[in-house]
Amino acid sequence: MAPHTPGLRTRTSGKPGPSARSNRLWAWLMVPGTLWMATFLVASLLLVATLALGTTDALGNPQFGLNFENFAALADPAYRSVLVRSLGYALLTCLICLVVAYPVAYVIALHGGRFKNVLIAAIVVPFFANYLVRMYGWSVVLSDDGPLLKALRGIGIADGGTRILQTGAGVIAGLVYGFIVFMIIPLYAALERMDISLIEAGRDLYGGPLRTFFHVTLPATRQGAAAGCVLVFLPAMGDFVSAQLMGGPDQIMIGNLIQDKFFQGQNWPLGSALTMLMMAVLFIGMLGYLRRARKDETDQAEAAR
Amino acid sequence: MTLRPALKPKPRPAAGTVRTPGPRKRGTRPGTGERSRPAPRRGRRGNERKPRFAIAVTAAFFGLLYLPIGVVALFSFNSQKSLTVFKDFSLRWYGAFLRDDSLLESLDMSLRVSLVAMAGSLVLGVTLALGLVRCRSRLGSLAGLIMLIPLITPEIVTGVAAMLLFKGMGITLSTTTVMLAEITFSISYVTVVLRSRIAALNPETEEAAMDLGATRWQALRLVTLPALLPSILASGVLIFALVFDDFVLAYFTTGVDPQPLSVRIYSAIRFGVQPTINAVGTLMLVGSILLIVLALFIPRLFGRRGGLDLLSGK
Repeated sequence: MAPHTPGLRTRTSGKPGPSARSNRLWAWLMVPGTLWMATFLVASLLLVATLALGTTDALGNPQFGLNFENFAALADPAYRSVLVRSLGYALLTCLICLVVAYPVAYVIALHGGRFKNVLIAAIVVPFFANYLVRMYGWSVVLSDDGPLLKALRGIGIADGGTRILQTGAGVIAGLVYGFIVFMIIPLYAALERMDISLIEAGRDLYGGPLRTFFHVTLPATRQGAAAGCVLVFLPAMGDFVSAQLMGGPDQIMIGNLIQDKFFQGQNWPLGSALTMLMMAVLFIGMLGYLRRARKDETDQAEAAR
Repeated sequence: MTLRPALKPKPRPAAGTVRTPGPRKRGTRPGTGERSRPAPRRGRRGNERKPRFAIAVTAAFFGLLYLPIGVVALFSFNSQKSLTVFKDFSLRWYGAFLRDDSLLESLDMSLRVSLVAMAGSLVLGVTLALGLVRCRSRLGSLAGLIMLIPLITPEIVTGVAAMLLFKGMGITLSTTTVMLAEITFSISYVTVVLRSRIAALNPETEEAAMDLGATRWQALRLVTLPALLPSILASGVLIFALVFDDFVLAYFTTGVDPQPLSVRIYSAIRFGVQPTINAVGTLMLVGSILLIVLALFIPRLFGRRGGLDLLSGK
């Protein structure tokens, strides 16, 4: 076949583009990876969705079916309270991450000078260390006679009865420690990209540092903040290690329930239904974020015109 | 933490955005797209107060970020079992780790899983990324969307799903199933990273090679792949580190014996503290940190940009 045979999906001939023959090569290159993902990812997720409608037989083996009793079971107040708690913990985690990460990202992006990259690397690198080891170290730090409470007792903030582990605060502290890097990176990127003359303009117009911050800097970086919230919320909602290591039996999250249904409870259909429920909650959150982001984009496009 | 010297305000170059020429308040140099800053700025910024509160938060953040890691590392050298009182320096727990055959077996398994996942996901991910960027078809954009699923799904969901798939196909959970699951997860990562790299390549270099008589395949092998090599190597190293440290997927897809090291750590810390875990954890921390630093430096070793761009936050 000649290199420029018309046919297949060539682009307009004026531009140098992939020819028909190369397009076929590229299409073939996609095949193994796509097949792999279709088998191991898409099929497996569909399996979860299907099994959520199944039941267990007398021996506890999962049976496929078409009934909604698993979803009806989820209406149980016990499950509802776990879901509400998971949502609350994940949202609080987002909020705390935002409040802590913003100054960090701000200082590094605007005052980091030539150490910017080093400082960001110093945040990213430990994040790649083993999640369990980090969590475990964090639980040691937060433990009743650990360094943090000792220090707080020393300066009189905490007394002998103050505990962090085995409380909801411990779980949230774990989630924050685990995922805050997902907040810092997008915020840092947004602050880096921000036109610094905006801040100067705020100052020129006699805005104080705080007013400039709330009226200029914060709105200019809100997309980074929103992206960070999504990136923290997703794993925080699915986490089960933090609640296990830092919380007591009263602090379990939906991830712990799912884990329990698959390992101890051996009720896979119910576990699948719980998984689908969690995905539904996250999906609603994602939709809200995407709509918001799209609105932001169109607003910006209009403002540019 | 000696943060202070790092935080001197410095006039920074204009951000990448090209400013549209418009009515300017201060009529300095009416040229368009002016990038250099006028001189008065330095003085103005010099007067600006440092955000002391934010700097204090940053310092505290760095302290708390490294404290847990430091504690684990410190107490791995403790001669006693305690996690709160450091008695003497000793390598006792490292010795205990080296004598623990089942832990060593787990280490061996984790290493094998990481190697296989790295190789498999690089082969599948690189080809897929090339196809996704260059091939314009509807199927391609669908495949591109599928790639994003693992990145926007909590790992517990992909873990549960993989476990159900294997059990549903009647496959006994084992080292192989961990490998398959980890490859699946890593393909997404490789594809996402390499897609942007490939899109940034100039396709005309390949076409030039073909004009000079290379076949499509030779052009790919001799021109495109070498240009992508730094990114490929960097993502390979990173995949190795990520898979080695991964816990959730491994937890759901592993069989009984042997178990990956991170799953062993999980069961160990769930049932009371074992100081050996401090030693294992410290070794894992050091290993992962070395790997990620290596991944960050690979582009520099090649003397050009084109690595992971982790630090620019993109």
